[in-house]
Amino acid sequence: MNNGNTTREITLTVNGRKRTVTIEVRRTLADFLREDLGLTATHLGCEHGVCGACTVIVDGATERSCTQLAVQADGREVTTVEGLNGPNGELHPVQEALRDHHSFQCGFCTPGFVMAIHGMVEEKKAGRPSPCSRAEIREELSGNICRCTGYQSIIDGAEAALAAGAGKES
Amino acid sequence: MAGGSAISGLVGARVHRKEDRTILTGAGRYVDDVQERGMLHCHFLRSTVAHARITGIDVEAARGLEGVVRVFTGADMSAITEDLNFAQPIPGLHSPAYPAIAHDVVRYVGEPVALIVAESRYLAEDAAALIEVEYDLLDPVVSTTAGLADGAPQLFEDVPGNVVHADEQLFGDIEAAFAQADHVVTDSLDQHRWACNPMETRGGVATYDRGSGQLTYEASTQTTHTLRFLLAGWIRQPIHQLRVTANNIGGGFGLKFSIYREDVALCAAAKAIGGTVKWIEDRNEHLVAAGAAREEQLTLEAAVKADGTLLGLRVTMLLDAGAYPINPPATVYAGLVRTTLPGPYKLPAYQFSHKIVATNKASYISLRGPWAVETLVRERLMDKIASTCGISPVEVRRRNLITLDDQPTKMVTNVTLECVTAAETFEKMIGMVDLDEVRREQEAARAEGRLLGFGVGTFIEPAPGTQEFWAAVGFPFGAEPLRIRIEIDGKVTAFTPQTPHGQSHETTLSQLIGDELGVGMDDIRIVYGDTDATPFSMLGTGGSRAATMASGAAVYGARELRTRVLDIASHLLEASVDDLEIVDGIVSVKGAPGASVPLGQIAMGCWLAPDQMPEGTNTELEYVASYDGEGGGFSQASHACWVEIDQETGKVEVTRFLVVEDCGRMINPAVVEGQVVGGVAMGLGGMLLEHSAYDAEGQFLSATFMDYLMPSAPEVPEVEIEHLEFESDKVISSRGVGEGGTVLAPAALLNAIDDALAQVGRGRVMATPVTPTRMLELLGVIEKA
Amino acid sequence: MKPAAFEYLSPTSIEEAVQALTDPDDGDTKVLAGGQSLVPLLSLRLAQPARIVDINRIPGLGEITESGGVLTIGTLVRQRSAEHSDVVRRACPLMAEALPHIGHTAIRNRGTVGGSIAHADPAAELPTVAACLDAELVARGPRGERVIPAAEFFTGFFTTALAEDEILTAVRIRSAAPGTGAAYEEVSRRHGDFAMAGVAAVVRLDGDVVAEARIAISGVDLVPVRAGKAEAALVGRVVDEPTLVAAAEAGVADLHPSADLHGSAPYRKHLAGVLIRKAVRTAAQRARESR
Repeated sequence: MNNGNTTREITLTVNGRKRTVTIEVRRTLADFLREDLGLTATHLGCEHGVCGACTVIVDGATERSCTQLAVQADGREVTTVEGLNGPNGELHPVQEALRDHHSFQCGFCTPGFVMAIHGMVEEKKAGRPSPCSRAEIREELSGNICRCTGYQSIIDGAEAALAAGAGKES
Repeated sequence: MAGGSAISGLVGARVHRKEDRTILTGAGRYVDDVQERGMLHCHFLRSTVAHARITGIDVEAARGLEGVVRVFTGADMSAITEDLNFAQPIPGLHSPAYPAIAHDVVRYVGEPVALIVAESRYLAEDAAALIEVEYDLLDPVVSTTAGLADGAPQLFEDVPGNVVHADEQLFGDIEAAFAQADHVVTDSLDQHRWACNPMETRGGVATYDRGSGQLTYEASTQTTHTLRFLLAGWIRQPIHQLRVTANNIGGGFGLKFSIYREDVALCAAAKAIGGTVKWIEDRNEHLVAAGAAREEQLTLEAAVKADGTLLGLRVTMLLDAGAYPINPPATVYAGLVRTTLPGPYKLPAYQFSHKIVATNKASYISLRGPWAVETLVRERLMDKIASTCGISPVEVRRRNLITLDDQPTKMVTNVTLECVTAAETFEKMIGMVDLDEVRREQEAARAEGRLLGFGVGTFIEPAPGTQEFWAAVGFPFGAEPLRIRIEIDGKVTAFTPQTPHGQSHETTLSQLIGDELGVGMDDIRIVYGDTDATPFSMLGTGGSRAATMASGAAVYGARELRTRVLDIASHLLEASVDDLEIVDGIVSVKGAPGASVPLGQIAMGCWLAPDQMPEGTNTELEYVASYDGEGGGFSQASHACWVEIDQETGKVEVTRFLVVEDCGRMINPAVVEGQVVGGVAMGLGGMLLEHSAYDAEGQFLSATFMDYLMPSAPEVPEVEIEHLEFESDKVISSRGVGEGGTVLAPAALLNAIDDALAQVGRGRVMATPVTPTRMLELLGVIEKA
Repeated sequence: MKPAAFEYLSPTSIEEAVQALTDPDDGDTKVLAGGQSLVPLLSLRLAQPARIVDINRIPGLGEITESGGVLTIGTLVRQRSAEHSDVVRRACPLMAEALPHIGHTAIRNRGTVGGSIAHADPAAELPTVAACLDAELVARGPRGERVIPAAEFFTGFFTTALAEDEILTAVRIRSAAPGTGAAYEEVSRRHGDFAMAGVAAVVRLDGDVVAEARIAISGVDLVPVRAGKAEAALVGRVVDEPTLVAAAEAGVADLHPSADLHGSAPYRKHLAGVLIRKAVRTAAQRARESR
């Protein structure tokens, strides 16, 4: 057991890179990613777990990075949007599908949606229950708020991403 | 125009957005992504009460906290800034000046009372908790009627009776209209306060260079030049030493059109400290303090003939302005509502009066179609006239709409309408709906105990409007500049004062320039958001102007450079200009591809050795174009909305939504459709979910996203869109489409809800939002609490 | 919106955790499980504990087991894992149906079953399920383990019978008996929001007659409410519409919900009645189908 303290050394893997850092224990994972690691793709839209802009993948599952402390990520593996691109900056298939469907406008909510949809595609590939109809996709993405698009174009992109992801699996 | 227009087919196509790689990979630079060496972080301590005199503030403990660099009280800040003053020479307008940080009286919950600058936001918030403020409470004014009441508390000495502005205007012979009326139809609506809520809140990073004396403000703004212009005076910074920049902007919706006291305080703090300071508004602050929109109460009285023909209309509006004025002045909102309200209908006589009232709330601000209430009340009134006269909502509109055959004509508010196709969009929409089937479905549903409703609406949108229109509103129209350069290698850079934040201007302007100059999308860059680089304009991105105005400037700029290039090429290729074309950056003789010269070769000659270019040609490959809009114009649309109301839970589900819109020639249909669907979603959310609510003490009740309900994907219907591309004979026949969805959707929705209520013999919606509670009260299922 | 400073402890055994809660300190201590409620409260500075005891590193608290007709869900079981668990679906279909109503996927991936119950939001789903099923809440403290019946666990608005030095370690629920049906119904303004009212119902039929009924209501009081009068109005009767109406009326008769921005008091009371009818009707139907 660590001594109670206001700073702590942690080791975690972010986008495939292992890092050991000393951080203030009150720091949220989102602030740690953005300010300490400079991974500013993860956005903060509400800081109280409603808008989903800060969605990242932790140990294979989508989670909010604003509703956990960075210190809690000790020993865990975190993937942000910066970790999705190919070695030469190629768009990830999820990003391609969203681009092809003109899914977004201002882009602020976008990384959160990309990660949420990526999580959906991965769940489907893993054979877990996953949304099929557009209504089900809407429901599954209800934790991400977009103010610009009215969602329709995002659902178009998500539908295509799910179909493409399933195609690769079969 | 020499050379004509070489259409390579970018305009009108659903080309990929240039913005998408950046935003999908998270590579954008939103203002909170800025990190500078030694950057300090700001936090505002805000008033916890709605109306009070500040009798004391103790910041000593905060100043003593390790990591705190500076604490500014209101007095400290006023020593280094001028009060914000948005007053304009408008008769009868009372626009009080106010300090960046309150030091005397606070007038809304959330008003800044201190600014803490510290090494981290965490520390700044720690320090804020150590500040003691003593308030001597004053009675708050929390509604327009309370503010106007005899003996009401006065917010400002220089706003007598809390009336910011009052006016009455008369158009045509209103007395005669009512004298001839077969029916007088009255209506009213009390619209609630709701807000822009872009996913990125307000914020900025200010850097003062102690060497040069230059201040750079990287802001989240819709209008860099206006921000710079107003900021300079208030922070006492020579304007030539002030640069405002903007990179990625996470939405604005009208909010970021103004400049705010936080901008002033932040920049003044950077100057006083001599370094870089950042302030990012958190969502809690945003909801409480950023301002909100749409709080208006209207009454209407229509004189109509027995057949439903409109003869005259009397309208009164009370607008709840909140405490402090922002930009534009509140008279602009009233002017917009007044001028637009007759819409696309023949109206011989009209009387409009308004009172704008100061209250103890955050400021009334622009929200996507700030005049929207005019369409909401007019389209509801049309339905009420229909039911009074015993005709259908479709028929009442047919009998009153201005068709293309009627044009050009003048609105009763002295605005010329031409090429306005509201009637045509309406007919096209009605042609797509089997009205009999709608009624049969409703009857069948009622037999099963289910309740369905159907509503329609139509409107015109000043996007960008006309010179006459804006003169009637009392706001400048202005021309739109754009600087364009063919670079030394033939690539193209264009500099626009637009500050896009989701509208895809990098894409659409590139499409236009690409077609004109015969270069590919990837060979064009659009530069925006830098007052050092872009031409001056007071407008920026707002008011749905870009599709016409920025497009026109881009087209005229590109054409001028095309003319110069083709003139040079005609000498080099010994061919007539009329025989030349530019395709993929190569100028060639049509039908003789061997006779060609790359654009890059001409450009290199022009930039490096202009004296060796053909004599008499213009070798300047940089040009500032300006476009006056050729008189401007209107967009228009008609909406149809189907709802199902759950009579047990009071929930309203929009089961189908149809839009027929006409914004002229579409530059990129995918962009148009994105704007339409997004706009509709915002309009529906505003009516059903969102509410910036205050209690009787002026405390704010919607301070988190658990309370202020933004629509999420399941709450938004699939929107069907049909386009009607009526092209005028103007060079630019594209018009704006960003605001219309939000303006019209509430009307179609409320008409659908009223239609459902009427089927079960219940009264209409008189106040918004239409919450499940309100719905069951209207249905008589529960008592009004 | 940044948390105030606190001391952070991450014990790796339940004993250490209890010790961390017991240690004398000069302020409030909070247990951190999934954090989906607590961390936002920290960020809003509505909670400013002096010490946080993060129990996520304690092994053995994340198991789902069923034995001897009792389903045991460890306090750290993520809501999403419970939602996907075949054991939960079979032994506690009520919980399986309630779980997807909680927030959104990314919230349930992190949020825990025990955390939601210990947080005791009266509008939340899992406290209502616990109240409905008379779950047993297993707590560990310096005096050892004790079992608290759900009826005694929820003591007030966001407060429970857990002592300041106790940790909820597991939830025990009797496995669903054959011939029972369950349903969870709620209405919120938006998908994933806390409900304006919700109803958990379990019905066991003997022939066509109700042998046992369990009904709990969320969002209408300071704690999840058992609708004893509604249950009584069902037992011994056939579930037909008049019976449902009578049960709903009995179920809401004593409710005095408070109002907020999302729903008035009369609305919430009315809605509770609507949802009682709906949930009981569905539960009875499922009970019939299970035979």
